[in-house]
Amino acid sequence: MAPHLEHDEFFQSLTDLLSKTSQQAHGSVYLTQKPLIDVPGATTTNTQPSILIRATDGNTNAPNPKSTSKDGKIVKNKSTKIKLSTIVTPGDLEAFYTRYAEVCKAGMTGLKKRDRRGRKAKTKGGAAKATKA
Amino acid sequence: MPYLPTSQAYLEQSAQLLQAYPDTTRIVTKYNFPSTRPANQKRIQKSQKNPKAGDASTPTVPIASLTLKTFNPTTGICLHYRTNKAQEVSRLITSLGKLAAGADVAGLGLSSGTGDVEMVDAPVTAPAAGTEEVGGKGQGQQQGQGKKKKGGKGKR
Repeated sequence: MAPHLEHDEFFQSLTDLLSKTSQQAHGSVYLTQKPLIDVPGATTTNTQPSILIRATDGNTNAPNPKSTSKDGKIVKNKSTKIKLSTIVTPGDLEAFYTRYAEVCKAGMTGLKKRDRRGRKAKTKGGAAKATKA
Repeated sequence: MPYLPTSQAYLEQSAQLLQAYPDTTRIVTKYNFPSTRPANQKRIQKSQKNPKAGDASTPTVPIASLTLKTFNPTTGICLHYRTNKAQEVSRLITSLGKLAAGADVAGLGLSSGTGDVEMVDAPVTAPAAGTEEVGGKGQGQQQGQGKKKKGGKGKR
């Protein structure tokens, strides 16, 4: 697996990955966060562990995610899979997540945008219901 | 495992799960577009045709969805929350940051979470100063009202 990226690189790649997925309107992006527990044998500290952040496209952007080998077995083509990862120390968490939220908000353009018209109609409907009740 | 109805419920329960198993619990955020497999498209078409038969054959832009999943492999507990609203994204991600930092239910800054903690704290401070008891009660009532109002807004 590729080495962990610096935060700047990670965000840049994540922005690319999200915008690519949104443009294609196809595929997925998986973001995982979990505490990075040190290798057993290392000195255990009582302080908070660092957080490991991973991002992958789950190989959903590959044109041919599966192909049949000679034996007729289905083989997954893993070489095209995009994998990103970075480590966030407890001190950096807040700054990282502020930026992380911005990147995600900007990149996830495929979601439903706030529909002002629909909202107005809804509140009107709600008010009508309230008066009825 | 369950899809929780509100993001608040999801975040609260996730905080509890993370507190119970801080080392092994992980959070996965999935941003995905609906599948374009022929079988799946047929199913979507079918479900759209039934309610309004007239509006068929208009190529719609697929709407992506965001699925949050908190999973603990040792206990097999898995909490889900799914949304397709863009305005929720940044709030959810910052909350995930708080979860990653080890925030408890109260630390998330959600209304009912803080209410729970204050209920616990109130009896501790009350016996220390008897005269302040009235003030303490007043606060409690105000909080109760605030909660009710919030609930009403959410439903509309």
